[in-house]
Amino acid sequence: MPLYGTLDVKARAADAPRLAALDAPEWQLPGAEVLHLLFETEDAGNLALLPPALHPTIPPTCHLVVIRAPESPAGAFVLAQLRVGCRAGAFQRGFVTRAFCDSARAAAALCSAFGFDARAADVRLVRRHDEVSARVTEGGRAILACSLGDPVAIGPDDVRYVDALNLAWVPRGGESVLRLVQVDARQRIHTADRGRPRIASFDAPAWAASGLVPDYGVSASFCSADLVLPRIRFLVDPEKPAFRGTEKLGA
Amino acid sequence: MKFGIFFELSTPRPWTPESEHRLYHESLEQVRLADALGFDYVWCVEHHFLEEYSHASAPEVFLAACAAQTKRIRVGHGIVVCVPQINHPARIAERAAALDLISSGRLDLGTGRSGTWTELGGFEADPDETKKTWDEYVRAIPQMWTQERFRWRGRSFSMPLRAVLPKPYQKPHPPMWVAVTSPGTEIDAAERGLGALGLSMGPVSEYAEKIENYKRVIRSCEPVGAFVNDQIAAVNFLFCHADDAEGVATGQRLAGTFNYLASQLLSTREAFPTRSYPSLGLLPGLRSEAAKRADDGGPSAAITIGDPARIEQALRRWESAGVDCVNFLLNCAETVPQQQVLASLRLFAQEVMPRFRSGEAR
Repeated sequence: MPLYGTLDVKARAADAPRLAALDAPEWQLPGAEVLHLLFETEDAGNLALLPPALHPTIPPTCHLVVIRAPESPAGAFVLAQLRVGCRAGAFQRGFVTRAFCDSARAAAALCSAFGFDARAADVRLVRRHDEVSARVTEGGRAILACSLGDPVAIGPDDVRYVDALNLAWVPRGGESVLRLVQVDARQRIHTADRGRPRIASFDAPAWAASGLVPDYGVSASFCSADLVLPRIRFLVDPEKPAFRGTEKLGA
Repeated sequence: MKFGIFFELSTPRPWTPESEHRLYHESLEQVRLADALGFDYVWCVEHHFLEEYSHASAPEVFLAACAAQTKRIRVGHGIVVCVPQINHPARIAERAAALDLISSGRLDLGTGRSGTWTELGGFEADPDETKKTWDEYVRAIPQMWTQERFRWRGRSFSMPLRAVLPKPYQKPHPPMWVAVTSPGTEIDAAERGLGALGLSMGPVSEYAEKIENYKRVIRSCEPVGAFVNDQIAAVNFLFCHADDAEGVATGQRLAGTFNYLASQLLSTREAFPTRSYPSLGLLPGLRSEAAKRADDGGPSAAITIGDPARIEQALRRWESAGVDCVNFLLNCAETVPQQQVLASLRLFAQEVMPRFRSGEAR
């Protein structure tokens, strides 16, 4: 049967965000922009980054996702995420290893509401006619520089995003437990471009992704969209196969 | 109604030196039995790099063995991937013709374009182009078969005057099909006079509408080959057992495993934003239908698993929708032990198949 991730979840436990509750109201992000890059990756690095609950995609992949939200319950922010392409049982997902946000307030709110391991950094998303680029700088050090080159317009319906899974401490049964928190964002895409994915620099350890080598560009898209981060509906035990360890909240 | 079997040739991890050897030889045993029992077709897909899900990257070799070991069952080479980075059209025409010779005129050719990035990306093929290259291939291949020498100046390939050899045994040439998974491909099939292969798209009522469209359009088609292949073949799972509960349980395990393995692959739709791939491919309709449950908690009424009576009921639905043939997936990742697969085939042939062959009253 399919391979499972080999991440030592306990080793990541200390860094994992803590959610005080699982009842955060949904976030409306009108007028957002999303840069999405998909790369194929080295096999071994990918497996070691996924919790045992998850299967790697075939072939192994990672997503770089940068969202600029001019409005949100926590104000404007730009959020960059690294997601390892995976399957929770039969479902398409991306496991977020780490995220960076240009707003400390939004980073804290995204942590406590949805479990994003979001840290404050300088995150830039720049749109030009010949490329759309993103740059993340932490402590004066560039940890990501990537871009979509030669954008051409495509149909809004042509773009499809996978849902995110964040490793976080959540309250269950009177105690705090580690779970994968599913953030199944909804989107209404207005315009979309597609182009060539390029990556100029990538500091894997800074993204809690040591060993990950995004070595083959698959696709890049840039969209303007209204996004919604809905209330949390699903939790997954990171140590059990997702088809056995998924809990539907309120069920 | 005709019945066939089709092979993805799937084998689960952990792989041993014997895994694929056993898979291929057990599959050939199933083919020999199906031939003896009166099944009409054996199909084998072409897939590349699809770990566990399908190790059928050289179907022409598997099918040559099928042809050599059987007497009357037709040999379905399909779908072959009509993408230049994977197959040159002359190579498809040559291999298919050789299979037609070895099988003494029992070949059908199924065409398609692959639905996964796992495959297309592996060959660095452009997903935007595959519909166009398929369209060019299905026009060129019949000409390669029927013209002594052939030349082509096209969009996806060109070649100077050459004799594409051998020529098929069937005259004017073998029947041609196209895999139908994306919405609207049944119209593509009909407009070109091609059979619709694996037309699996969810509820029978929806299916019936697509079949009606196909039948309407094909009446005024411009065939790409020398004749019109006006046939619709559906795909389904098969596990037939005298005990309905056991048949359903095993069949559901088979369907669930197939669904699970298919979902691990990277679909083109997921990886590469393009209008060219509006659906997820890989028989999504069949997967969706298999996951459904009837009101009584049993399997979807459209899935052919259970005892002979339940399977007959399901097949009557497909028959009334206008399907000419159903091709069955017998196993997936060794979910069903070989002896049970063979017993299922025997029971189906003994109890169900005759009811569709003799015009028996419903």
